Amino acid sequence: MNQVALIWILAEKDLKVEYRSPQAFLNTVFFALLILVIFNFAFDPGSQATREATPGILWVALLFPGIIQLNRSFQAEREEGTLYGLILSPTDRGVLFLGKFIANWAFLVVVDFLVLGAFVIFYNFSFSVQMLWVAWIIILASVGFAAVGTVFAAMLSSIRTREVLLPILLFPIIIPIILAAVNGTQEILILEEAQFLDRWLQLLIAFDVIFVAAGFLLFDYVVAD
Amino acid sequence: MSDPSNSLVLLSRVTKIFGLVRAVLDVDLEVCRGDFLAIFGPNGAGKTTLLRMVSGLTQPTSGSIQFESNDDHSGRDRVGYVSHQSFLYNELTGLENLVFYGRLYGIGKARGRAEEMLVKMGLQDARYQRVGTYSRGMKQRLTLARALLHEPDLLLLDEPYTGLDQHGSRIFTEVLKGLKEEGRTVLLITHNLGAGLELCGQIVIQNKGELVFQASRGQVDASDFERLYFQVVEGGRR
Repeated sequence: MNQVALIWILAEKDLKVEYRSPQAFLNTVFFALLILVIFNFAFDPGSQATREATPGILWVALLFPGIIQLNRSFQAEREEGTLYGLILSPTDRGVLFLGKFIANWAFLVVVDFLVLGAFVIFYNFSFSVQMLWVAWIIILASVGFAAVGTVFAAMLSSIRTREVLLPILLFPIIIPIILAAVNGTQEILILEEAQFLDRWLQLLIAFDVIFVAAGFLLFDYVVAD
Repeated sequence: MSDPSNSLVLLSRVTKIFGLVRAVLDVDLEVCRGDFLAIFGPNGAGKTTLLRMVSGLTQPTSGSIQFESNDDHSGRDRVGYVSHQSFLYNELTGLENLVFYGRLYGIGKARGRAEEMLVKMGLQDARYQRVGTYSRGMKQRLTLARALLHEPDLLLLDEPYTGLDQHGSRIFTEVLKGLKEEGRTVLLITHNLGAGLELCGQIVIQNKGELVFQASRGQVDASDFERLYFQVVEGGRR
């Protein structure tokens, strides 16, 4: 069986499991909505200062709840030892990573689009072409986030304090992604001229390529005894 | 057990150390094709660690594990492993679990093979049920089906009777007897001395990481085995 088909089989399995037991999905969505609501109450919705802070608020609501899913993706594999089942199979470990990463990425994108919809309503934006650009940034940023998150979640899955450790380890590594995503979103939503948008998008793509390649190459060591 | 042409796995001076704990110590063991070998021993004897090393899940600290003439222990697909955990997804049905693993192992007609194994394990009526709804006995039989799906050369069973009631144990023993009749090579770890003796052709006792007793089934008197077991475990080497 070719490697692309194997990647799809692994990702499809994860998505099917998540679809049939959607606790992580619901928790992630509610946590994200809660963040949007809290910021909505905390700041004056009509002020210019709040308007300028909205890109940051959006990315806090997108990134922090994503940790729930990343933790859950490997915790579930540990509960019945299914990670060992995967490791014992002759499937290349890099392929295992790609399957898991694609499932996590697809999950995050679906959640993020729902959150983006709520964000538009809560903060008085309109569903316009601008939002398609924000959606494009979300797609790109989620790739790097899911890639690094998948590696760290696998690494920490057997550790009792993984829920605490994952964000502590993950966020410093993805600072370039956060920087590019927030600034890119600010250019689209707040600034009148998008001078550097291309550069932020290029930065996101570069980090996506680096992180996915690193995950693919390192996963063998990550899951080794 | 000593015909070199029939040898499947050869363990030479295999040692595993976790920090200050010597889990497995200088183990020499040869498993030949068709052997049904039972490893007995108290908790903490290192049996599970030994099996994990044979499966490839854990690497030995020193020593070597060789499959047939291969120098390198890389034949992950040659081993089927039934551990304390099922390696099954509770949210998927029995059939979906087996088809998934079948595809991972590159089995051409994974669905057909999965259906075949479900029939063999008496689970055909439960194939569309989610595994989370299975009883412990059904789950254990499905676990065995998962381990046998790719026709492994060596089947590793780590305490397969754990959590099974008497009825479940009896059904499971019948399944294992069937495997023995098929001539499969099996390495079984169990605390169930009766079931282990009933099935095995070779007996090994492990204690404090070392193999302290090895004999063929014919050399051991079943009625006296419990006394022998405690004598060996409590009395040291034999």
